[in-house]
Amino acid sequence: MPDVTYTNNNILVAKNLIKYFPINLSGIFKKKYIVVKAVDGINFSVKKGECFGLVGESGSGKSTTAYMTVGMYAPTSGSLVFKGEDIAQPAVKRPMHLKKDIQIVFQDPGSSLNPMRNIQNILEMPLRVHNMIKKGHSIEKKVISLLDRVELPSHYRFKSPITIGGGERQMVAIARALATDPSFMVLDEPTSALDVSVQGKIINRLIRLQKEFGLTYLFITHDLSLMRNVATRIAIMYLGKIAEFASANEFFQKPLHPYTQMLLSSIPILFEEEAKLKPKKIHSVGEIPSPVDVPPGCSFNTRCPFKTDICLVEDPVMREIEPGHYARCHNI
Amino acid sequence: MTTEGILTSSSLKNPWVRNLYSLKKTWYKFSRNWLSVLGLVMVVTIVFLAVFAPYVAPYPQHAGKFVDFKGKNQPPNWQHLMGTDTVGRDILSRIIFSFRNALLMAIVVLAASVPLGTLTGLTAGYYSGTWTDTVIMRVTDVFISIPPIILALSIAAMLKPTLMNSMIAVSVSWWPWYTRMTYSLASSIKNEYYVQAAELTGASKIYILFHEILPNCSSSLFTKMALDVGWVTLVGAALSFVGLGEQPPKPALGTMIAEGVERMPAQWWIALFPALAIMFVVLGFNLFGDGIRDALSPEEA
Amino acid sequence: MSETLLDIKNLHVWFKVYGGVLKVLNGVNFNVKFGEKVGLVGEAGCGKTTTMKALLRVLPNLALIPEGDIFVRGKNILKLNSRELADLRGRGLSMIFQDPTSALNPVFTIGQQLIDIIKYSAGSSGQKVANKENVALSALHEARLPDPERMLDSYPIQLSGGMRQRVCIAFAIATARDLLIADEPTTNLDVTIQDQVLRLIRDLVEKKGSSLILITHSLGLAREITERVYVMYAGNMIEMAATSLLFKKPLHPYTKGLLASVPRLSGGGFAEGIPGRIPDYRNPPPGCRFEPRCQYAFEPCSKAMPPLIDVDDGHQVACYLYQNGQENRRNA
Repeated sequence: MPDVTYTNNNILVAKNLIKYFPINLSGIFKKKYIVVKAVDGINFSVKKGECFGLVGESGSGKSTTAYMTVGMYAPTSGSLVFKGEDIAQPAVKRPMHLKKDIQIVFQDPGSSLNPMRNIQNILEMPLRVHNMIKKGHSIEKKVISLLDRVELPSHYRFKSPITIGGGERQMVAIARALATDPSFMVLDEPTSALDVSVQGKIINRLIRLQKEFGLTYLFITHDLSLMRNVATRIAIMYLGKIAEFASANEFFQKPLHPYTQMLLSSIPILFEEEAKLKPKKIHSVGEIPSPVDVPPGCSFNTRCPFKTDICLVEDPVMREIEPGHYARCHNI
Repeated sequence: MTTEGILTSSSLKNPWVRNLYSLKKTWYKFSRNWLSVLGLVMVVTIVFLAVFAPYVAPYPQHAGKFVDFKGKNQPPNWQHLMGTDTVGRDILSRIIFSFRNALLMAIVVLAASVPLGTLTGLTAGYYSGTWTDTVIMRVTDVFISIPPIILALSIAAMLKPTLMNSMIAVSVSWWPWYTRMTYSLASSIKNEYYVQAAELTGASKIYILFHEILPNCSSSLFTKMALDVGWVTLVGAALSFVGLGEQPPKPALGTMIAEGVERMPAQWWIALFPALAIMFVVLGFNLFGDGIRDALSPEEA
Repeated sequence: MSETLLDIKNLHVWFKVYGGVLKVLNGVNFNVKFGEKVGLVGEAGCGKTTTMKALLRVLPNLALIPEGDIFVRGKNILKLNSRELADLRGRGLSMIFQDPTSALNPVFTIGQQLIDIIKYSAGSSGQKVANKENVALSALHEARLPDPERMLDSYPIQLSGGMRQRVCIAFAIATARDLLIADEPTTNLDVTIQDQVLRLIRDLVEKKGSSLILITHSLGLAREITERVYVMYAGNMIEMAATSLLFKKPLHPYTKGLLASVPRLSGGGFAEGIPGRIPDYRNPPPGCRFEPRCQYAFEPCSKAMPPLIDVDDGHQVACYLYQNGQENRRNA
């Protein structure tokens, strides 16, 4: 199991984190509940100052994990510790300093910025809520300096989000997250809704901001090529559990878990040098099961080309295959 | 994705420039449909007539205590463009004066019901699924089921029938519609990511309700308010038709129709012109409301 | 030419908006031969969807076509009457949209919708299609959908995203068509499903001998499936080449910048992307529309939009750098 003890270096630690969503399908006469097992027991730790990547497809639970970190959901069970403090509660119950310290940038900048407000108002809100303007200082100057940090011109504060492009909107969302001087930022697919030519600009800025302000990132995406160039350590999730967990180099040079290999083989690539990195033996087959109906045994057994008898019965445990490289599979 | 080439970065700093630009843009969206412009003209006419009634009406004194039995029941002619009624009063002047109470009623009813309805709707919508939502919405359901005319009759039976009492009656039965509308808007808007972002940062509930959710309801609210002026006028006319509301000899559209109905079809003008006036008000505000909806609709990027 | 199925010549499309006219398409030249698989690559806002809408004649009322022609099988479709248009849509073209959830009507079963399509595919000839249900079943079978009989009675909401998109593909290939237009068919799908769906499209198109236009913003996808690729920028086709040639030797500065912006699976960080933004269509640059962002811009670039110039065999570029059929750099 990866190191999940809290030390000064591990800024965020999750232990056996579980989030189930019960859905009540009871009729008048029959009682029926189904449970969506969004996150089903994960363990990970994020080191201070790193960029921790969480990869997965739909139903993997990566977004749920991110939302639990920020406080949109409270975990069903398990522990989530941030800088030594227990944060296993929804944001409404959290103290203000936590809300200031952990921020999130959502995927779609079109819906994460209020279309009826202008950028000045949007950026002022976190400043006012956390009383970040000292007496005698102008809030307008602070807003201009925030815009400057993300390299947007100062007159943008009069514009409304509808009138600026997707990449710039995302910059505003990042500026809003930075407004409270957080130490931890959750980035939920920050560039998935944007064009490739803008993506590079945003990611580069995020990396620069990380260095400048000593931030720690929890970076979520389904795009492995993007992850390769951003994250220091990567965990890949499937149906609510972590399948493999390693440093970025290890993850791509030597993917161990069959799901990781399947994912890597499905990526469309552009250049010959990348083609060498794609596993040849394994192709994507089958559908992703719904988190309501998780197969017994190893949850990947419906699609795994290497499955054996034990995979249908027993759920594998996360093991350290090589130093720092963990995987959950019977057959490695 | 496109920049606004029309405004330069330095001109944006000037608030007058920004406001003028957004006004022009709103007008453009409003005026794309000529019917909305027609509605605007009609609304402006009604408001102008109501405000300047004593100066515009040809026979302002006919709007009060006035009788002229020699001149009664005249069909439309050059001295009285819409004819005279059973006691000799000029119908056109009375119609112009009755716009005053029609608009007054609309303003009072809306001023009472919109804040109350919006507030309750926002609260219930934001807390949807909890007890707050249940309590507020069930109370709203009770009020929605009260028909305005019956309520007005009951109030009139208890107190005197006056304009003020019928305004109270209509307000009491009007506010729940705003609650309903705001409730459905708020309960869907609260799931938007920008609201979540505000909550996660720790903004107060008041801030979220009034600065994040309410602005997004504004277009529906203003549209409904514009349309409601017409509907309140209609309800007010129904009330004065049965004798509630503004009492004679003060002019009211419904009262005039009631007087004229007995004289149909011989003296058709006594009932017809007030009816057309009601239609003019309702139609005008309807068209105007459509235009408001277009004007306040969010731009497509 | 008899072997050209689709030929778009010098197409201009304008939209009337507040403050003037959006000159979106600026002389688009695009052709597809019978049985060919062509890719149309471009970022958001470049006009690729507008081009397809013009081809299907579903542009909104605010749009006007001041200049240009679209020929399908030699007939100018901008001049067709509604009967001929129904013929074209029923038998010539079919389209797969980006979001399968909104492309399927949620209140009808798959079977009902599919049979409707088969019924209307007869066009104006009035012929009845025999045995519509068999045709439907075989279409679902070809789309590699499990249990086609049960699928006919299912509602779209009961299916996963990948299955829905396969259903849309089945709709598109149910009756014989000359041209299949796939508008970002896999953008909303998971990566492993994306791979399967793309292979399905490619195999079906090859089997039926139809032509394919694949519209995408992902260069990697275009590389996997197509034989020839057009690159579009701000309302013009700026480069066209055989797929392998384009990726080995991109010529236009925009194409080069785009290829450089894509993150590599082999690591190496991010390029800065392409500076600037797409032009304002109300006031587009008078010359080449990429000129404001181009680092190689020189004198003729701001005067007039360059036409597609033949460089190598089959490789065309709309750039004055290649005026004499070979690279002609003034500024390095």
